[in-house]
Amino acid sequence: MNNRRPEYLVPALIAGAVAGVFSGIPFVNCLCCLWIIGGAMLAAHMLAKNTPGPLTAGDGAIVGALTGIVAATVDALMSVPLRPINEAFVRRFMESLARVAGQLPPGLQDLMQRRTSTGFSLAGFFLGLFLSAAIFAVLGVLGGVIGISLFGRKKTPAPPPPATQGPTDATV
Amino acid sequence: MDVKASLVAPAAVRRAVRPAYAITLLGTLAWIVAIFLAPYLRSRSSGAASFLYAMFAPVCHQIPSRCFYFHGFPLAVCGRCLGIYAGFFAGLAAYPFVRGFMKISLPPVRLFVLLSLPAGIDFAGGLVGAWTSPIWVRFGTGLVWGAILPYYFLTGVSELLLWRSARKGGSSTGASLDGAGLDNPGTKNVE
Repeated sequence: MNNRRPEYLVPALIAGAVAGVFSGIPFVNCLCCLWIIGGAMLAAHMLAKNTPGPLTAGDGAIVGALTGIVAATVDALMSVPLRPINEAFVRRFMESLARVAGQLPPGLQDLMQRRTSTGFSLAGFFLGLFLSAAIFAVLGVLGGVIGISLFGRKKTPAPPPPATQGPTDATV
Repeated sequence: MDVKASLVAPAAVRRAVRPAYAITLLGTLAWIVAIFLAPYLRSRSSGAASFLYAMFAPVCHQIPSRCFYFHGFPLAVCGRCLGIYAGFFAGLAAYPFVRGFMKISLPPVRLFVLLSLPAGIDFAGGLVGAWTSPIWVRFGTGLVWGAILPYYFLTGVSELLLWRSARKGGSSTGASLDGAGLDNPGTKNVE
């Protein structure tokens, strides 16, 4: 039995950075939570590749949660410089929606304006980061366990054959 | 695919799965209530609505044309996400009858692939511009996919709780490690 603890951190850092970047890019982030789940699955895949023995759902949960936390941090950091682009995207979308629908549902315009007009604050940034990290960690657990079920299946190494009779180096 | 829990006493498994189940059920309920609470509070001009919408923003695009409406305002997540969460809740509700609390196991990969196909096809078709699915189709495909997800989530969380109880000392929690190792008691083999 292999009791060595798997190396969770490196897969979580790499996959979390990838998931965080993609979930922070405007328009690309339309994939919702799937970037985080996909990132955690990627981390589980990397963990499975780097770990000789079989992995369990608990391993997937740990690497997934770490991936989610890394992704939340990267996403939050990216959201600061990308904020103007995100706001422009929401504004353009609202305009196109108004053209298609003719008239926006009551209160929707106000809602969209509030989404784009709130200023940056450090407290808001850290509160958002904390909430995102908690939510992404939960989603990461899910993705990590799914990833382990898909990629963590390994055959346990066969036991060494019994010692053969006859002369060996040890007896010479 | 089963994660063997044969090395851990069933009572210990039950003690790990039950709290994981209860916390997940309560969390999912609160999550879904918050999704509906956001537009309701917005219709009441409450400032808390902004917080709720912002809370869901990192996990959903919240495009209004892809959201169901409640009290005249879009829900805090899109139709597909709502379907996933509703499916997750439905899967959780069925969990005690389907799986029970006495064992920890992962669903078969084939079942996961099968249930992922509708959402995957619908999403891929929309991505390449082949079609634009109505919101109910998005909701339905999300619902199907979401139904299998709690079986992964609960397995992972339950196993973490088992590890924790094993570290605290198997005798106090009833976990019988049987030489499986403190880092990974009982659920080592994924088949």
